[in-house]
Amino acid sequence: MTFVLTLAGALLAVSVEMLEALAIVLAVGVTRRWRDALYGAAAAALAVAALAGALGPLILARISLNPLRVVVGTLLLLFGLEWLRKGVLRLAGLRSPSSSFREFVEQREALEEAALPPPGHPDWAARAIAFKGVLLEGVEVVLIVVALASRPGGTVPAVAGGAAALLLVGGLGFFLRAPIARIPETHVKYVVGVMLTTFGVFFAAEGLGVEWPLGDAALLYLAALLAAVSQLQVVALARESRARVAAP
Amino acid sequence: MTALRRLRKLVLGETWTLPLVLGAGLASAGLIRVLAGPHGWWRSAGGFLLLAVAVLALTVSLPRRS
Repeated sequence: MTFVLTLAGALLAVSVEMLEALAIVLAVGVTRRWRDALYGAAAAALAVAALAGALGPLILARISLNPLRVVVGTLLLLFGLEWLRKGVLRLAGLRSPSSSFREFVEQREALEEAALPPPGHPDWAARAIAFKGVLLEGVEVVLIVVALASRPGGTVPAVAGGAAALLLVGGLGFFLRAPIARIPETHVKYVVGVMLTTFGVFFAAEGLGVEWPLGDAALLYLAALLAAVSQLQVVALARESRARVAAP
Repeated sequence: MTALRRLRKLVLGETWTLPLVLGAGLASAGLIRVLAGPHGWWRSAGGFLLLAVAVLALTVSLPRRS
């Protein structure tokens, strides 16, 4: 069960991050030139791969298991709770919905203002924007996958989930060459927030010597509890927001 | 400077409240674990204390209700 949950967590989290990177690369490709967008993205992918190659084995080899679980749990809690906080605010209507499509449009509008260099000359502005976008999202992907992979038996599902997400989002970008406007990103990010927070609590507690009742099945009731609590917060915040609007 | 700000936002998030409450909660949980001993009640119930810390961190990071 932990295998499936780790796989699903890595798949969803990496998909969302890659969708954001894809929106930036597509905006650069559509507005400027595809070649420069792909050069920038490829350079960032190489940098991220080098980081993953250096960071993953170093962390797994140098730090003993329990302190590593606490560090990984804390990292996942930081990511997960931030995504959950934003998800609660979005679902309560207090923050605009997450949208890679909107990011694509904003990026495209910003790029259209800059003059295009003559044919045959490299478009450094386009390359830099594609590089920065892919690098920042890629670093987050590396941190999440390394964190999920650091549990015994976690490497295969975390790497498989991450790789499947890369293929999925890369394939969508290649075949459609347009951002996916209909994906309910707000809900997907909220679910990822619940999952990462669940893994964070689970790992950190294990690192501090806790033995969870029902073993790995604790992941299920932890996720259910976090989903229930956060939904209550969504309802409370939405109700308060409506009352504030209705007040004279 | 912008890169540092982006990195901080990437790791710690948009607010200081969440990482601060989480850090304080985890430090307290570590201290409680030491006081309770590794084989005491902590072993079976400590995880729920950490869950409470996570819920508390989330709750205080959301806008305050009037």
